[in-house]
Amino acid sequence: MLKIHNLEFRYQFRRILQGVSFAAEAGEIVHIIGPNGAGKTTLMTILAGLRREHAGRIEYESKPGQVADDRRDFIEYLPAEANALYGKMDAMTNLRFWQSLRGLKSTDEALVNELELWDLDHPLIRQNFPVERYSTGMKRRLALARVKLSETPCWLLDEPLYGLDTKGIQTFQAMLQGHLQKGGQAWIVSHDTAPLSIFKLRTLDLGGKKS
Amino acid sequence: MKRHMLQFRALLSQSIQAEWASAERWLSPLLFALTMLLLFSFAFGRVEPAFIPQLFVAATFLTAFFALQIAFSRVLEPDMQDRVFDQLRSYPIAPTAWFLSKYLLVLMIGLMILLPTLVLADVFINETTISFLSLPLFVIATSSLIALGALGVLLSTMMLRSNARQILYPLLYFPLTTPVLLAAVESSKALLIEHHSLGHLLSSWLGLLVISGIMYFTLSLLLFGELVKPE
Repeated sequence: MLKIHNLEFRYQFRRILQGVSFAAEAGEIVHIIGPNGAGKTTLMTILAGLRREHAGRIEYESKPGQVADDRRDFIEYLPAEANALYGKMDAMTNLRFWQSLRGLKSTDEALVNELELWDLDHPLIRQNFPVERYSTGMKRRLALARVKLSETPCWLLDEPLYGLDTKGIQTFQAMLQGHLQKGGQAWIVSHDTAPLSIFKLRTLDLGGKKS
Repeated sequence: MKRHMLQFRALLSQSIQAEWASAERWLSPLLFALTMLLLFSFAFGRVEPAFIPQLFVAATFLTAFFALQIAFSRVLEPDMQDRVFDQLRSYPIAPTAWFLSKYLLVLMIGLMILLPTLVLADVFINETTISFLSLPLFVIATSSLIALGALGVLLSTMMLRSNARQILYPLLYFPLTTPVLLAAVESSKALLIEHHSLGHLLSSWLGLLVISGIMYFTLSLLLFGELVKPE
């Protein structure tokens, strides 16, 4: 599973992350907390492989004692202020595309079933309807459907609840529950803590002083 | 290898769909080419027959160059939206599969612009009864496209990572493409005016064009992986 050892990251002359160490096991949720500017999103982008740490080490153990060569094989990232969806494409095409990059191929029926969970299965909106015309909440739900369909054991979710309505939050909770039961883990940044209160969380506090 | 092939196919088909969904991106360079060639045709009016091949070469390559520059600079636009590019970087995608899919896309778009430009130039500029369009001319045009396309993908990707992309793209693109354009123009002149054969051209300017193509392609392929790595 995902382990961080003494991580350090600087931006220009400011130290954003310093001495961050943490290890999460299967079936755990890591709730990353800290005030604005503490480096929560920065940490997520480093774990996702978008930024390089300046010191320290990140390891993903695919099996006990076996460190993965490329941790991106096991990690799915959901950014905070975007959903990483092709706006001109429809929901089905988006899901199919991201799956195929991981070498996965779901049947149309499986994709529709997944969209049904997120209330996006209506024939008029799931096909031949560009995602750019979706509402904020619909886009977020589709991005969460992509996370689930990635079949990766480690999810990095940055503000996953942004734009979700009550039903969307319930679907998210069920999705997370299922993921944990299958031995997955999730690292979550969220200022909306109430929906996460039903889970047992481990906290990674980045609120320490920086230099 | 099989997975890389699947990734290549997925990326290519997605890119083609994204281009097709935003027809404006390839339609504007085409309309630009049409307008430019019409302007050339009107501006020069009746020309001495001896100067027509030179005018044809100048007008065609100038038009094609700018039309391609417009098209290539926007080729990664769909990936820039909604942080798709970052998401792609967070996926275990082989850089070679990624580069080749974008390169093939650029070649397709390039051909879609280049071929009509050549035909339109022959219609608007060439007032002689003999058509300039020939296989050797297409070989020259395609060779320049191979080099320009590789640079297009490399620079577009580089610009995605830069804050000053609007300024940097033309600043880097124009000087790097000068040798390619010179070789393309000289080869075409030798073909249309001096009537040299393709074999003869290969040992001179066309040779330089082919070498530039191989060089830029290799360089782009090698550097692309560096550009999509973590910052």
